[in-house]
Amino acid sequence: MPHRVSTSKADGSGMIGTAPRSRSRALALGVALAFVAVGGQLVRLALLNEGSSTIRVSMMSTPSSTLARPDIVDRNGRLLATDVQMPSLYADPHLIQDADEAAERLGRMFSGLEVRALRSSLADKTKRFVWIRRGLTPAMAQRVHNLGIPGVLFVDEIRRTYPAGRLGGHVLGRVDIDNRGTSGIERHIDDVGASEAAHGARLSARAPVRLSLDLGVMHALDDELKSAMERYDAPGAAGLVMDVRTGEVVAAVSRPGADPAIAEEALDPERIDKVAAGTFELGSIVKLITVALALETGKSLDSLVDTSEPLKAGRFTIEDLHPLGRPMSVAEVFLHSSNVGAGQLALSAGAEAQTAFFQKLGLWSPLKTEVSAGPEPLKPAQVGRIEQITLAFGHGLAVTPLQFAAASAALMNGGTAVTPTFLARDDAVDGARVVSARTSALLRDVMRRNVTDPSGTGRRADAAGFEVGGKTGTAEMAARGGYRKKSVIASFLGTFPASDPRYVTLVMLFEPRGQESTGGEITAGRNAAPTTARVIERIAPLLGVAAKAS
Amino acid sequence: MRILNFVAVFMALASAFLLYGLNYDTRMIESRLHSREREAEQARADIAVLRAERAHLARPERIEPIARGLGLEPLGARHLLPGPGLASSDITTSSTGP
Repeated sequence: MPHRVSTSKADGSGMIGTAPRSRSRALALGVALAFVAVGGQLVRLALLNEGSSTIRVSMMSTPSSTLARPDIVDRNGRLLATDVQMPSLYADPHLIQDADEAAERLGRMFSGLEVRALRSSLADKTKRFVWIRRGLTPAMAQRVHNLGIPGVLFVDEIRRTYPAGRLGGHVLGRVDIDNRGTSGIERHIDDVGASEAAHGARLSARAPVRLSLDLGVMHALDDELKSAMERYDAPGAAGLVMDVRTGEVVAAVSRPGADPAIAEEALDPERIDKVAAGTFELGSIVKLITVALALETGKSLDSLVDTSEPLKAGRFTIEDLHPLGRPMSVAEVFLHSSNVGAGQLALSAGAEAQTAFFQKLGLWSPLKTEVSAGPEPLKPAQVGRIEQITLAFGHGLAVTPLQFAAASAALMNGGTAVTPTFLARDDAVDGARVVSARTSALLRDVMRRNVTDPSGTGRRADAAGFEVGGKTGTAEMAARGGYRKKSVIASFLGTFPASDPRYVTLVMLFEPRGQESTGGEITAGRNAAPTTARVIERIAPLLGVAAKAS
Repeated sequence: MRILNFVAVFMALASAFLLYGLNYDTRMIESRLHSREREAEQARADIAVLRAERAHLARPERIEPIARGLGLEPLGARHLLPGPGLASSDITTSSTGP
């Protein structure tokens, strides 16, 4: 019994003790379950959140890999290129009910749409995405929307716009359908990684790319070149303005221009960028280089050169247009633009020194800028006597006008090389010395004299108060097997103010015709020089160059 | 012990409700945030279009004929005074031009 009792007691006490313990276990389990539920909910929320954002992104992204690009502004912050959102039209063939009808109606809406190709792609139910037309105007999008074709849908995309139109078009370059730069500054922006993948149609928030160009100066130059083309009946013209200290290109215009928004214009060979992409034989403006070479090799402006006889080299005879029949000083060779004199100066310097000088000035190799890799200059394979003579007066070497302006800037600024740039540069860059300060000062003097001297070829380039200096160049255009006498490139290399130059200008007129106002002549002194005067009169106040009392 | 268990259950329930409330609020805020972001994005896109249009309207090629029509002309040397030391009578003469 005691055993039983004790057992029953023991059992009883066991039964009595188990009930609350199991209840507390159940409770603990319940609480644990509740916490697990809470934890589970937290995990679910976290996963769900991630899921929803993924869905959102995939809905916003377009099937193309469009780039968002920074704005491009001129040196004063005026807008030259920007991205805007535009609706693009696509179709989901899976949702198209009647492919024939849809293609027919869309074909009527858009000119140039290949209806047959569209019909077959709309009928292909395996596809879920077909582009119809990208970059619609809002009005056009509304008209398509009003058609109410099921399965024809819109998505916002980024498109590049160029508010200034053709002005600066060559420098800006262009972009393709995916907003990727294919030429000019646009390509440079991609090369340096300043553009970014567009998430959906989100615009770039990056800082604008500031160019060295000044829109006001660009317009003045463009306007004057346009007038000059009309006045002298020239089918083409080009011009540029460069800061001699920083190498910044303040204006670069090539006419006929190209609107970056119009692909046909940008790809038209007639509209090539004559400033940075075309190479030309520049004619007598190269005599500035020859005179610089002479001054660097020990001559002075008063040194005499034998110009009494035409120069002979093999079967060629080099003559002057208006021979003086007597020896000339170096300054006179420049002022009278004597081919014989320039040839003699080159011969006395020697072929090696002449070639080395061209190399030092960057005229012997391509000039790479942000806008292009630069075409290879056309130069003689070997520099013999005849090449030496022709190089001295600007024939036998074809370089880009930009390249020549950069070399001239170095000769004008005191003698240090400049690297031309299309991006704004705040400070002058210390380049390598190419000529002595003395040579530079003498060149500035002779450039000014060529405009002020009554016998100077550049006298029509004088713009009152702005101390213009410069050199004319009339180069016969190269043709198959020789040169065309009546077709010339008339150029004027200018600088102002000549006593302490801040800018060089280069104005080129392609194939100008003789007019009553030019006395029937096509030489640069009669057309490019007065055009330069007009340009400088307009741009000098914009560039903050004070006029001096004349 | 029992009270403790009740408190624990109560706490678990309360925290579940609280969590639900927080979750709900968070979703509301997120949706408001997304709608604000969309509005900001739209505003940015509109501003981009307006800036492009403004630049297009203010392009020199268009402004010049308008300015000339109003009797204005490009700034030239004769509009600028050559340095200091001029009397006011000179300024009047110079600014009226030839």
